[in-house]
Amino acid sequence: MSPFTCAREREVTELLRQGYWPEACPEELRTHVETCRSCSDLVLVTQALQASRKQTLDIPHLESPGALWWRAQLRRRNAAIETVGRPILGAQIFALMLLIVVAAGGLVWKGTLVMAWLEDLPQALHLDALVPSALSKSGGMGWIVLPALATAALLSGVVVYLATEKQ
Amino acid sequence: MPWESTIPNVLAGEGQPLAAGASAAAMDNEQFAGFYARSARSLWAYLARVSRDRTLADDLTQESYVRFLCANHPSDGEVAARRYLFRIATNLLRDHWRRPRSSSIDDMPEELFTARCGEGHADSLAMLGPAMAQMRPRDRQLLWLAYAEGYSHHEIAEVTGLASASIRLLLFRARRKMARLLRQKEEA
Repeated sequence: MSPFTCAREREVTELLRQGYWPEACPEELRTHVETCRSCSDLVLVTQALQASRKQTLDIPHLESPGALWWRAQLRRRNAAIETVGRPILGAQIFALMLLIVVAAGGLVWKGTLVMAWLEDLPQALHLDALVPSALSKSGGMGWIVLPALATAALLSGVVVYLATEKQ
Repeated sequence: MPWESTIPNVLAGEGQPLAAGASAAAMDNEQFAGFYARSARSLWAYLARVSRDRTLADDLTQESYVRFLCANHPSDGEVAARRYLFRIATNLLRDHWRRPRSSSIDDMPEELFTARCGEGHADSLAMLGPAMAQMRPRDRQLLWLAYAEGYSHHEIAEVTGLASASIRLLLFRARRKMARLLRQKEEA
């Protein structure tokens, strides 16, 4: 017998579980329970909780199992998509970083050439025909090229955003 | 062709660790409906009695089953599956208690329980409710699992995550306290 329990507790527990307590149990055990604090506690608490369980079982309005089943399927599917999509997202981020690094490296390496090309670009595209001669002469072609590039960058950002939303 | 359709096994969860041994896919819709019918009310009663909050019990019951279906639950019989379900519910309860509370779990919904019961039952619930309210949540859990659900110490340890050796002592203390409270209520 452990210091916390009575040796006859198992016997009493079994009778309580099978619903034999107190009618279908030996008189001698009933007398024991009356005198043993541990067993009387066991009987009192078990009877109260079993009665409570019996009553509580009738209360809930349960969700249909079909709805739970499909909710679980949906969650499993989403989890699987997320698992598959994670490396793809990682690869996209890596590619973008690589592109930025290469572009930055190229700018540093061939910066002067790029600047010269940018300066020549308005003339190559004959943009001077589109702008007033005063602006063209004052060397203001950069004011056209830079906003044009900024607009292109902005538009490409919008296009990427819209494409991602669509997916 | 959508890219999802090129990897159907993954989307069906077959490529996941779920498939190791027994997956939730092993339990089809009809099997689940049967299991649900046999276990849902006990689970709800456990959650409602331990949390003392019917709405929370509703939510956690649903969430427990969804997680059960998503998880790699044991395939060795319904008893083990049921134990696993109670374990999920116990963890959800614990998570709920750890979160900052907007409303206290000690808010008394006991009158809601008694209101739904018959005349004869109301007396025992009227005694049990206040006694349960004075117990700590962990003690309520232990008492319910042991004496309402009839779980062994080993099974309770598995459900609650407590050490098996400490269950006997914790249960003994909780039972003694509960019996004292019930007797006080009886005398009053």
